[in-house]
Amino acid sequence: MASVKISKLEKQYGAVKVLHSLNLEFADGKFVVLLGPSGCGKSTLLRMIAGLESISSGDVYFDDVRVNDIHSKDRNVAMVFQNYALYAHMSVRKNMAFSMRLKKVDKKIQDEKVAWASSILGLDDYLDRLPKELSGGQRQRVAMGRAIVRDPDVFLFDEPLSNLDAKLRVQMRTEIKDLHQRLKTTTVYVTHDQIEAMTMADEVIIMRDGRIEQSGSPMEIYDRPDNLFVAQFIGSPGMNIIECQVAEDSGVLYAVLDTLCLPLPVNSNVSPGQKIYYGIRPEHLIAAKAPMSFGSSSERLKTESGVVRVVEPTGPEIHVYAKLAGQDVCSISRERIMWAPGDEIFLQPDLQHVHLFDGETQIAL
Amino acid sequence: MGSAQVRQTSKGKLPRWLTSEHPLPWLFPVTSILVVFGLYPVLYSLWLSFYKRNPATRTEKFLPSWNWNKLIGDERVWDAVTVTFTYAAIALTIQLVLGMLIALLLDSDRRGFGLFRALMTLPLVVPPAVTGMMFLLMYDSSFGVISNALYSLNLLSPDHPILGSGSTALWGVIVADVWQWTPFMVLIMLAGLRALPKEPFEAASIDGATAFQSFFFLTLPMMSKIIALAVLVRGIDLFRIFDYVKVMTDSGPGTATETLTAYAGTVYFKSANFSYASTVALATLILVLVVSTVFIKVFKIRF
Repeated sequence: MASVKISKLEKQYGAVKVLHSLNLEFADGKFVVLLGPSGCGKSTLLRMIAGLESISSGDVYFDDVRVNDIHSKDRNVAMVFQNYALYAHMSVRKNMAFSMRLKKVDKKIQDEKVAWASSILGLDDYLDRLPKELSGGQRQRVAMGRAIVRDPDVFLFDEPLSNLDAKLRVQMRTEIKDLHQRLKTTTVYVTHDQIEAMTMADEVIIMRDGRIEQSGSPMEIYDRPDNLFVAQFIGSPGMNIIECQVAEDSGVLYAVLDTLCLPLPVNSNVSPGQKIYYGIRPEHLIAAKAPMSFGSSSERLKTESGVVRVVEPTGPEIHVYAKLAGQDVCSISRERIMWAPGDEIFLQPDLQHVHLFDGETQIAL
Repeated sequence: MGSAQVRQTSKGKLPRWLTSEHPLPWLFPVTSILVVFGLYPVLYSLWLSFYKRNPATRTEKFLPSWNWNKLIGDERVWDAVTVTFTYAAIALTIQLVLGMLIALLLDSDRRGFGLFRALMTLPLVVPPAVTGMMFLLMYDSSFGVISNALYSLNLLSPDHPILGSGSTALWGVIVADVWQWTPFMVLIMLAGLRALPKEPFEAASIDGATAFQSFFFLTLPMMSKIIALAVLVRGIDLFRIFDYVKVMTDSGPGTATETLTAYAGTVYFKSANFSYASTVALATLILVLVVSTVFIKVFKIRF
């Protein structure tokens, strides 16, 4: 096991810079997820840690040892690839034992390790099969088995679940997390699926265009996004964002867009006339069939009315998509209110959970 | 709707098996070529081989086993079989190893490698007879570059003509074959190498494999079907070797480079014993069929 440190790491393909001076530190035993849209450089970063991609400038350290010039075969990392990358002509057993066979490990120890890994991964009955005779999920498990028999310093996962169907993906997610809790090996996991990141990570690193946008625990990132990009990227359905302007009415500040007038939290760091992005997560946008009253401050917090467009019942929740003063918004409620498209809907943001972003810099206010 | 209409209008004009909807018109051209140039000559050879021909009187007598018995007892045939197998085995091994090595060198996306890959195929467009003539000149003991190079390096004594000595003549012919046909191997190997998935090699590198281990544990097994196919195609070709031998040594010195097809040619053109020549040619065909079928079965090649 090892900690990983990345310092001023850059990657260039010709004139194109894909990673811009990244600085990161993964503590020993942590499960770190690199999250970002495709093309953000997360896989490139992972491959540079693995030693499969050359480093243009900067350094990678494992436990304070600089590994830039160490070949991937000597870095003692294990990697699971998106398309499994199994050795097609070798049985499951041989696939898993390959690294030990190269190191000429004693045959008995090889068998023990393979048996141990296959029992963890439920592959006992498949050891003599070829990869082509396995299902996608089983192949993925073989790829993981090949990784865990190594006792690596660092586990690297490159979108390992994206080739699996939805149900299997959820199941494997739990298995990978369980495996990490058992083995406690530093893990770097690349994905573009924010649910995977949220559910599995100790620490999430959100990347865009080769830069780190924010890093922190999943809940930190969800509750306090640093900027508009992170706010929109995390959460499904995404955060409602309304581009509006701050206005003042008898000493009280509002966010205004055309006829829409949204209340602002007290002590908001905004001034009249300022352009802002008003963000509210769907579960914090309360929906009702009739205008809501808010006690003493009901005058100030007027509910806005909109029209229901689409209703998506998911079981535990109902997602309602509505048009609010020309803006598409989504509201999630656990109450079983029966909505129909075209209904009038009254919406009210929960002021404790409003996110405001500067209109120009898009940074959280 | 369109085809229904066409069928209706053509009804009564053409019989159904002549319309484009029937497979027969499509099969006719290739079938007729195969029958005329493939099946007929083989059957005719077979028919010839059942006759005892007297070249002097130019008469034939139906004696089905005469030529086949002669074939089995003919020492020159067995010599030719040995020469053919030796030639094919040596040339194939060299071409296979060289082809793989060159393909590995050329398997790169770097700039300029495409040009090398294209240049590599140049020998393939030279007619084999011309190649033979070319090497004949290069082997010439007074002005040939290859001979002179070997003489000056003291690898060969100047009174030793390469193609004129029994010990080196076959090697001389093999070198010409290797020069011409290694690029073919390179092409097949390159196609195979470039089609290999990248990820298993990256996985192997992370698993701790050196370049050599990657080659022996991954590249070779993953390429096995392609290698087997290349061996089969080239092997059959090498078995039928005729042009280089004819042009460069004419089976000489003595019968040192006489292959089965060369012997069949000699019997046909020089002794004018058409029926025995057909028998030798058929024997070559049978040998190729047997060897390649066994090979296909052993290496489980599927087409």
